[in-house]
Amino acid sequence: MVGAFEFAPAIAALPFVSFLVALFVGRFMPKKGALAGITATGGSLLLSLWVYLAVLTSGDPHVEIVHTLIGVTDPFSLELGILIDQLSALMLLIVSLISFLVFVFSLGYMNDEGETGLPRYYAGLSLFSFSMLAFVMASNLFMAFMFFELVGLCSYLLIGFWFRADAPPSAAKKAFLVTRFGDYFFLIGVVGVLGTFGTAAFAGDGSFPVLAEQALAGEAAGINTFGFDPQTWFTILGLLVLGGVMGKSAQFPLHTWLPDAMEGPTPVSALIHAATMVAAGVYLVARMYGFYALSPTALAIIAFVGGFTALFAATMGVVKREIKQVLAYSTISQYGYMMLALGVGGYVAGVFHLTTHAMFKALLFLGAGAVIVAMHHNEDMWKMGGLKERLPVTYYTFLAGSLALAGIIPFAGFWSKDEVLFEALLRGMDNPIFLVAYAMGLIGVFFTGLYTFRMVFLTFHGEPRTTIAEDPHHFGWNMKFPMVVLGVLATVVGLINMTPVAELTGAHIEFLHIWFEHGGETLTVEHYGALLEQWAGYGAVDASTALVLGSGAVSLLLALAGAGAAHVLYNVPDPDEHTDKLGSIKTVLFNNYYQDEYQVWLAEGLTANVARGADTFDQGIIDGAVNGVSSVSLFLGDRARRLQTGVVTNYAALLTLGLVVLLVAVGILGGWFV
Amino acid sequence: MVPSQYYLVLSAAVFCIGLFGILTRRNALVFLMSVELMLNAANINLVAFSVQNGNLTGQVFSLFTIATAAAEVAVGIGIILVLYRNFNDVDVTTATTMRW
Repeated sequence: MVGAFEFAPAIAALPFVSFLVALFVGRFMPKKGALAGITATGGSLLLSLWVYLAVLTSGDPHVEIVHTLIGVTDPFSLELGILIDQLSALMLLIVSLISFLVFVFSLGYMNDEGETGLPRYYAGLSLFSFSMLAFVMASNLFMAFMFFELVGLCSYLLIGFWFRADAPPSAAKKAFLVTRFGDYFFLIGVVGVLGTFGTAAFAGDGSFPVLAEQALAGEAAGINTFGFDPQTWFTILGLLVLGGVMGKSAQFPLHTWLPDAMEGPTPVSALIHAATMVAAGVYLVARMYGFYALSPTALAIIAFVGGFTALFAATMGVVKREIKQVLAYSTISQYGYMMLALGVGGYVAGVFHLTTHAMFKALLFLGAGAVIVAMHHNEDMWKMGGLKERLPVTYYTFLAGSLALAGIIPFAGFWSKDEVLFEALLRGMDNPIFLVAYAMGLIGVFFTGLYTFRMVFLTFHGEPRTTIAEDPHHFGWNMKFPMVVLGVLATVVGLINMTPVAELTGAHIEFLHIWFEHGGETLTVEHYGALLEQWAGYGAVDASTALVLGSGAVSLLLALAGAGAAHVLYNVPDPDEHTDKLGSIKTVLFNNYYQDEYQVWLAEGLTANVARGADTFDQGIIDGAVNGVSSVSLFLGDRARRLQTGVVTNYAALLTLGLVVLLVAVGILGGWFV
Repeated sequence: MVPSQYYLVLSAAVFCIGLFGILTRRNALVFLMSVELMLNAANINLVAFSVQNGNLTGQVFSLFTIATAAAEVAVGIGIILVLYRNFNDVDVTTATTMRW
């Protein structure tokens, strides 16, 4: 089909152009590169919308190889390609929308605040959007890995934007190293996939999920599983790739970089948390879901890591003092829910939560950014209070985002989180062990409600607790506009997939389910369902209407309970810090369960010692052998050269001696003297 | 006719005298002369075998050797001149600066 797909590469290329423009001529431009970025991401947004509509009308995935890096077919070829299907079209739309709004918001947050180094900022932001859009479009795992790394690099550049202070460069380094630790496994996974299947393509008959399925069915030849049982080997590969996912999506235990990443400018945090970096991990699992569906072990690990992270991060969010820290832990927790959904076989639920979360989390971060600007860059919630009357636009949009995050009907987060938990419950009824993951997710809902509304009440309600909060700084339309757009979306985007309502009325309004039922035959949700049933033993469970409604009601009640607790504790004119009542638990929570400490201990106490030992071995044994050989030859050479006296007579004597010896030897051997 | 063995003994004697000169003397000019002796020892051999075998190949070959020896002396004397210019001496044991 001629049309939208022809322009698909431009979706990623436009931000790249704006990256170059901002980098090289940004300083001569009126808004220091912001306008280039806004134009480019705006263009990407329109093109994404066009591509989305094209997918909607044609329904078929679009696969195209743009550039071949290494063209040999044996053992494998490396290509840059484009895969536009239902999933990537949706994700492109989300990423370009959030990027566009973040650019607009940055006009207010960065330009109007008189920050310096803006061309660098906008170049980084553009490159970030470019990397993520290209990652989303990637047609194979190898290309996905390349852009996955590029996303990590951009996060490093942007988190460390204020590099003259102490904390941001250190946070940037930490983000880079921790995600790199995960990416290391991802890299091995990519090599493993290429080595096993000879292809890394996501879609099509020759793609690796399809080959893996055929190998399990015993139909495919030429799959090298390195002596393992195919299922075991595919689990190992899946878990290796999962390492990268856990690093980027900040899942336990690689989540420690994310709260520190708050050192970056707030619009960057919005981009990282909603649309780019952190979303990349979960997106990757969804992208190769046909592969994960073959391995029940990998799925169970995904589900439990997700469920645990969801609860674990939520409890830490409850005690934080800074508004952005609360949001950081909520991000970790929410991505835990997505992983939980994907792990229990709820492909649509996971992607649905990814979509709604992108909207409300971007909104919350932009709202937090607005509050921070209003508070003259003071992030401590205990210094705020009473901002409701003074910043009404921010308050109402932020409230919409908070209601969505807490999962209060009918805001976006309710529908998606309810579906995640419902899928987990279904799986738990089939296999009781998943009830544990479900329970963790369910308890997390209570804490989500608690920390979300603690944040809202402390920031916006009560009496102003400082003079800055009494007279906050005002900001312009360029910060209000993105918040309003996202506020509307956070309210209504859940309506695309109202499963409980659909169940109750029988109307086919689960648009997201319907959306994912179309597309390439190996990329549809039915296909994934069949794979899950056949290979992972995820049998279909009949969901009665009562169960659907009951599950929704339980999660809603828990969210309301959390919000209610926050209301009782913090929605008073002059709230107290109730965290002291927690006693020693407070210390543990404030120290984030000592996650940083034990990881630093692992690095300094264990890895550093091993590295030191290896260094000694290298310097002493390996280098020692090499150096020893050289000193021995130097010594021998020094002795041997004494033979060269420079006196001709000596040479002649040696010659003669040699001749005589030769003669005698030949004579003895030849028997002359017998 | 004198038997070939006598010529060979003469040749060996001349060669050994030349070798003795090279091994014991320090004067470069004496060196040249000694080398000349050794070459001519070879020539004696060539001529002796030529006579014994009854063809002229060895004698012709010895003519070439004499010509080569002449050229070699020219080069050798040139080297000795340079040696003298640089060391004010023709003693071969003083010119040891080209070693390590």
